Amino acid sequence: MKKSLLFLLAALLVLPVQAADFTPLNKSTAAQLLDPASHRQPTIVALWSSDCSHCKKNLELLSTLVKSNKQLRVITVAAEPDSAILGPLLDRYHLPGPRYAYGNDNPDAIAYAIDPNWSGELPRTFLFNGAGRKEKVSGVISAQFAEKALGLRF
Amino acid sequence: MTELSGNQAGLRDSLATTVAGKSGFALGRRLALGFALFVSATCGALAADAMPGMAKAKAPKLELGASAAFSPDGTLLVAAKQGEHVMIYRSADEGKTWSAPAAVNAQPEAISADGENRPKIAFAVDGGLLVSWTHPFPKPNTGAIRLARADDGQHFSPPLTVHKDTAEITHRFESMLVLPDNKVMLAWIDKRDLEAAKNGKTPYRGAAIYAAVSNDGGRTFQPEYKLADHSCECCRLTSAIDIDGSPLFMWRHVFEPNERDHAIARLKPDGRLESVKRATFDRWKVDGCPHHGPSLVVDGQGVRHAVWFNQKDGAGRVHYGRLMAQGSELQVEGQLTVGGPRAAHADLASAGHKLAIAWKEFDGERTQLHSMRSEDGGKTFNTQPLAATDGASDQPRVIRRGEALFAFWRTEKEGFRLFPLP
Repeated sequence: MKKSLLFLLAALLVLPVQAADFTPLNKSTAAQLLDPASHRQPTIVALWSSDCSHCKKNLELLSTLVKSNKQLRVITVAAEPDSAILGPLLDRYHLPGPRYAYGNDNPDAIAYAIDPNWSGELPRTFLFNGAGRKEKVSGVISAQFAEKALGLRF
Repeated sequence: MTELSGNQAGLRDSLATTVAGKSGFALGRRLALGFALFVSATCGALAADAMPGMAKAKAPKLELGASAAFSPDGTLLVAAKQGEHVMIYRSADEGKTWSAPAAVNAQPEAISADGENRPKIAFAVDGGLLVSWTHPFPKPNTGAIRLARADDGQHFSPPLTVHKDTAEITHRFESMLVLPDNKVMLAWIDKRDLEAAKNGKTPYRGAAIYAAVSNDGGRTFQPEYKLADHSCECCRLTSAIDIDGSPLFMWRHVFEPNERDHAIARLKPDGRLESVKRATFDRWKVDGCPHHGPSLVVDGQGVRHAVWFNQKDGAGRVHYGRLMAQGSELQVEGQLTVGGPRAAHADLASAGHKLAIAWKEFDGERTQLHSMRSEDGGKTFNTQPLAATDGASDQPRVIRRGEALFAFWRTEKEGFRLFPLP
């Protein structure tokens, strides 16, 4: 056991840092993930996709926010199944939180479970203050908006 | 003749993609998993990030984007992706049975066929079968517009790139239009102006629309030219032929400062730009990507009918309307909402006095396919459900054979399906 742990550590030291895989998001998981009761700390669930040029601006902002306030947790959801291009696109923002990509369920059902009022436009961002409040917005967001919705100072 | 359903073909395609995608990541994943176990066993640092559904099982990337068209002899043709080939499927019995697919591109290459992307089919005036697609480059959101032609409808020449620009940038979401005099026109979303602005550190709104004309039925293309600056970045384009034979292209535009309404370009018969006008007025202000492109058709009386998606007064809905001239501008006549709050990705076509719209709509359990038909030029419609599916599905298409209209829908579980719209 000790040997294998040492091997793993050694392997990690010599390899470039590998970001975690994407977790498949299906409709039941999506409903839980977007439930304010699932979030006991200020959390942003950020929907993005490889096709979405405006999503980069939000991911950049989240990358800054998460560094300046350790209370904030950022969860990303790629609104498409995992593929070879997704990881490298997200890795550049060094976001520490869980990363999801669409799973096997009907994509329309996943989208509905995320938010029945969402039409697929991206970026789509859900902001939880950790005390039961949830706000949602489409498009590029500002730090001021995130502060207000999350109840945090950056 | 081998018979198989579009479904079988689609599954084979997705399996191939999954297997290829998995092998390259096996080692990295094992190490990452090992590291996760190690860290959680020793310090529990990841416990706070444990979220539901953490089991790792990669979903296959389904690329269901397909186009359908009837050939002049009445055969139904479908163009869809299979691995690194565009394939043509033929049905002589309105989609009940299908021929074994034939490859359009002999040499494999990457092909875009998901979301707003799909290969397109058209018949040149001289009878040549034309197939276009976006070939994505390895860098995300880049690609080239490709076209292959089969003089005899069966044997394709090697595909050509319709534009001269070889930069590894966005040339994607093409729309193909066949014109009299054996002309073929394609227009697409092109980011060369955005890239130039970025390099010069100047702001540039959205992307641009470029077009290229062929005067010989798609065998060769003239150098491309710009139709408009400031298109939206990743919504499909649509095209139609105006009553006098002039080409029309329509797309989602970014009007100042960030209104994602639609614009329509009218070209002279030789392909030169005549005008670009605002076509919709819903004023959806968003710095984002809607991923919903429009559809346009011109009926026998010359009336332009369109369907599009926009957020209007805070609600995202599919809209129908007639784009009518009002002085030198356009205005929308008879605008109405299509379907319910989850309606999406509508298409339309007209034949004789008939106009038909098809769209998909998730009902909370399944994705439904609906249609709306008018026999009075779009003033009144009858709505009818057509089908439903539990799995993933492509956007529906409305296609025409003579005076008859059909809805075509590719679904993950049922394959290619054709629905007459009497």
